[in-house]
Amino acid sequence: MRTLRRIQWPLVVWLIVVWVLLWGKVTAGNVLTGLAVGVVLCLAFPLPPLELELRLHPVGLARFAARFVADLTVAGLRTVAQILGPGPLPCAVLAVPLRSRGDLMLTATAVAVSAVPGSAVVELQRSTSTLFVHVMSSRADAASLEQARDEVRRLERLVVRAFGTRAEIAELAGRPGTDPS
Amino acid sequence: MSWTSVGDWVAAVCLLLGAGLSFVAGVGLLKLPDTLTRMHAATKPQVLGLLLVLLGVAVRLRSWVDLGTLVLIGTFQLMTVPVAAHIVGRAAYRTGQVDGEGLVLDELDERLTRPGKAS
Repeated sequence: MRTLRRIQWPLVVWLIVVWVLLWGKVTAGNVLTGLAVGVVLCLAFPLPPLELELRLHPVGLARFAARFVADLTVAGLRTVAQILGPGPLPCAVLAVPLRSRGDLMLTATAVAVSAVPGSAVVELQRSTSTLFVHVMSSRADAASLEQARDEVRRLERLVVRAFGTRAEIAELAGRPGTDPS
Repeated sequence: MSWTSVGDWVAAVCLLLGAGLSFVAGVGLLKLPDTLTRMHAATKPQVLGLLLVLLGVAVRLRSWVDLGTLVLIGTFQLMTVPVAAHIVGRAAYRTGQVDGEGLVLDELDERLTRPGKAS
């Protein structure tokens, strides 16, 4: 009984989904072997329990997904232009303090930032929830750097509105240094 | 023109675009000055290129079985590339593989070199 309680069932369900997708067909046999593989994996490689403070907001999620796809496309094309264009481009490493504290929000924002045109995450400080972002852009004056910083904060807002708990959404508005929208 | 040939054309365009983007990503790895700027090349056009190739393959194959596998490949790509890029970027930064001249502002350096603050 104790071993059974140690298993993280959401993880097993995810592993079953992956297993079935790999085999390509939903059959009783595939689901059962997937279950067996999932349970064995979870017992053989135990992971620390995830504290998932996750809520799904359909509207926020759709908005985030649309934004993510658009960012990915623009980022890809702009990077192509930067690669094929002349000369070295000015770069900067910016510290962007985030408003939300949750691990999940931090991770999701970091992933979203990686898809944004011109920026990549270099370092992540969990204690102050600060992202360090490497920015590559055609101009490097103070205004465009500030714009890059705002971009990261805007992504954070989209992420929290898509996955955040009510408290986290409230936190977004409450912290000093935030924008009103 | 039948729907099948429309699908084939869409697939061909997606595959060619995807291959082109991946090629430019490769060019970027050679051309850009340091590791951090190369990370941009290795992540952005490459991910978009791969997703376009997957889309092209999905449109061409038109089967649910393969669609599952393709979605899985895309999902793992999106989940793992930012993590891998971050780890490489972090290692590059901390070992000094950064082109200091191209960098107009560095707020991480201040944070790391300030005594007692380095993590």
